[in-house]
Amino acid sequence: MASAWCWSCLSRLRPTTRAVLPPPSAIPRLTSAPFHSSAVQYAPPLKKKSNSMTQLKYRQGQTLRRKKKKTRKALRKRIILSNPNALEVEGMQEISAENIVDARLRGSVLGLPVPMLDQLRAVQAFKPKQGWSIFRRPGAVVRRDTVEMGRLFEKISGEGDAAEKGKVVKKVVTGTKGSGKTVHLLQAMSMGFLKKWVVVTIPEARELVSGDTAYVPVEGSKPTQYIQPGATSALLMRTVEANREVLSGLKVSQKHDIAGVKPTSTLEDLAKLGFQDPALAWPVFKALWTELTVTAAAPGMEKDFQTRPPMLVAVDGLAHWMHNSAYRDTDYKLIHAHDLVFVKHFLSLLRNGQAELKNGGMLLYATSTSNSPGVYALEVALDQMTARQAGTKPTSPEYPSAEAYSNADPRVLDLFKPIEGKEPQMELQTLGGLTRDETRGYLEYFARSGLLREPVNENWVGEKWSMSGGGIIGELEKLGRHVRSAAIPTPAAN
Amino acid sequence: MARPSSNGLVQAMQSLRLSSQFPQRSLIPSSRHLARAYATEAETETNTAIQPESIPDLPVQAAPEIDFSTSFLRNPARIVPASPSYFSGSPRFVDHVLNLESLQARYAALPQLPAGEAPPNGLRLNRIQPEMVPGEVRTVLDSFLRPGNPYAVVRETPELDENGKARAKGKRKESKAVVHLVEGEGEVLVNGKSIVEAFPRVHDRESALWALRTTERMDKYNAWVTVRGGGVTGQTEAVTLAIARALMVHEPGLKPLLRRAGVITVDARRVERKKPGHVKARKMPAWVKR
Repeated sequence: MASAWCWSCLSRLRPTTRAVLPPPSAIPRLTSAPFHSSAVQYAPPLKKKSNSMTQLKYRQGQTLRRKKKKTRKALRKRIILSNPNALEVEGMQEISAENIVDARLRGSVLGLPVPMLDQLRAVQAFKPKQGWSIFRRPGAVVRRDTVEMGRLFEKISGEGDAAEKGKVVKKVVTGTKGSGKTVHLLQAMSMGFLKKWVVVTIPEARELVSGDTAYVPVEGSKPTQYIQPGATSALLMRTVEANREVLSGLKVSQKHDIAGVKPTSTLEDLAKLGFQDPALAWPVFKALWTELTVTAAAPGMEKDFQTRPPMLVAVDGLAHWMHNSAYRDTDYKLIHAHDLVFVKHFLSLLRNGQAELKNGGMLLYATSTSNSPGVYALEVALDQMTARQAGTKPTSPEYPSAEAYSNADPRVLDLFKPIEGKEPQMELQTLGGLTRDETRGYLEYFARSGLLREPVNENWVGEKWSMSGGGIIGELEKLGRHVRSAAIPTPAAN
Repeated sequence: MARPSSNGLVQAMQSLRLSSQFPQRSLIPSSRHLARAYATEAETETNTAIQPESIPDLPVQAAPEIDFSTSFLRNPARIVPASPSYFSGSPRFVDHVLNLESLQARYAALPQLPAGEAPPNGLRLNRIQPEMVPGEVRTVLDSFLRPGNPYAVVRETPELDENGKARAKGKRKESKAVVHLVEGEGEVLVNGKSIVEAFPRVHDRESALWALRTTERMDKYNAWVTVRGGGVTGQTEAVTLAIARALMVHEPGLKPLLRRAGVITVDARRVERKKPGHVKARKMPAWVKR
């Protein structure tokens, strides 16, 4: 067989001296083509072979002690909003009352004003793993849903062209994992603060049903309802801390059966009564709620009455309120979440046709995908809502309903049932991915912060957009901060 | 020879047979039923015929000389394989090799074609000038050819269907993937779900779409993927292969690029089977003294 080598050519080649070549063991042999650009640091750690020489036979005193549980929790829960190593982005705009409706800003990242950060921290708008700590300052990208929400805020506040002062908008926010539901709530809160609304939030719906806070039965209620004084007190503290400016400007306008309330006291003073005495927390919260939702003062107290601002109620992790809580009644049976007065109060606001917010406002109840108990009845209810929005009548055979013998919770289905003709109606808002342009703006922000060292161009953005399942923002963040191996060159297309 | 060998026995039998030139029937009628006529049985019959009691008084004759040249060669005592390489591992192959080598040696002197003109085959017999090839060589070489015209079978090149859709399959480990690739905006669905839900790890997503990525075609095609069986790595690399093949249907010119990227090379490795006596495929149990 003829050899493939040309011997005359080979004879001219001089063998490289051994010293110049690296030792054969140093050159990694590629057994298969690497179809990725992951850096070595992301490789799974090699399993160490157990070696009797390296393993200690007996437990010895370890110098590196594990930190205390409390410290560990604090480390886990801490929120870092700034990274001094990240570059400052030149010309970065701040969110303001004017630019929340500006559609030209779509795709740009708007910074949160520094004075507002304390308010947002007070309502626990930031969550630990949202990647705030990789940028110089906190900011959120403006997407289509954000601009639409900004328009709603303007409308309800009674500004702009199509002002509808006093309108109530109720939304259940859903979306796939990493689609930005919680950050959407944060943007809503920041807009609420900008528009001088009263912002009431429940950052973790789970904390109210997980059996961690105290609960007291309400005398004479049937079926027995339960008050959670500790959680109510915490809610009052959050609300006062965040809305101090608004609440301190409003005077009490009704008569309340609470000791310490004077006709001259402000709503801040009223709410503060619930801080010290948890037993008073629930009556104080009821009083505060009445004060915030009234449209006129009680007779004889009209002197200092000012119209109340709209309200924003934001709840995160709605599914936890749709099943049995971890609390037990006297018969040691599980208490349904809807029997907790606190939960019931906020869920009743959501009901179709319920218009308790007389001064207008917005209700945003977001589901969670990373921390969700999986309630079948809620899934059915959301499917039904989707079908109603698509125009399917509840009487039509295509209208989804719970499967037979599935034991779907009737209380949940009842909460979401349609009520014809009464406003305001509940809406379902499903967050999807960013568009390509928004993706580009978002990734450019990474590049300008010094995190991303690649040219952000059309092709590259399209690639990342596909890779993130169509612009899912949580996935884009992963890709933006992904350290890539420099060894693999991308072959250029011809 | 101290031990009576089988050959000795055979010789004795032969002499007996030769000595009884005139086979005589036993006077006592034999009750034996001779249904079949095996050689051994026939011999035993002759044996029984020479019973001492029944032998009449005949003049004793000396046994004739054994003719080794005829009967021994004609009737071998044991079955001898036809091929001398019967006890080698692959007798047919060895026979062919020996046959070809002998042919080659016999016709080594025939003029040969220069190296460039000969058919691309390692055999030197193939290089004999066509007009000089002996008939024997031609028949032997033809016996190695597959019957029929090898150029008659034309492989169907995969094409786009009427909707502009390319369909391709890929396999890796235990996974099988089917990809439908159409021109589009870069949307990918895996088993009806978003690729993020199907492959939560960035690494896996990247490797699944590697064919589109290396050719910078990510935002020009939509892929509808069905992948079954195996684990995550197997599924992603099955998808890689399937997408690369489907992409070649759309743009055959990308083949060298995809070849260099390594996405159209089939990785046919499978899990090695476990063997008896081993703990796993290769692992042996620990050696224990006694």
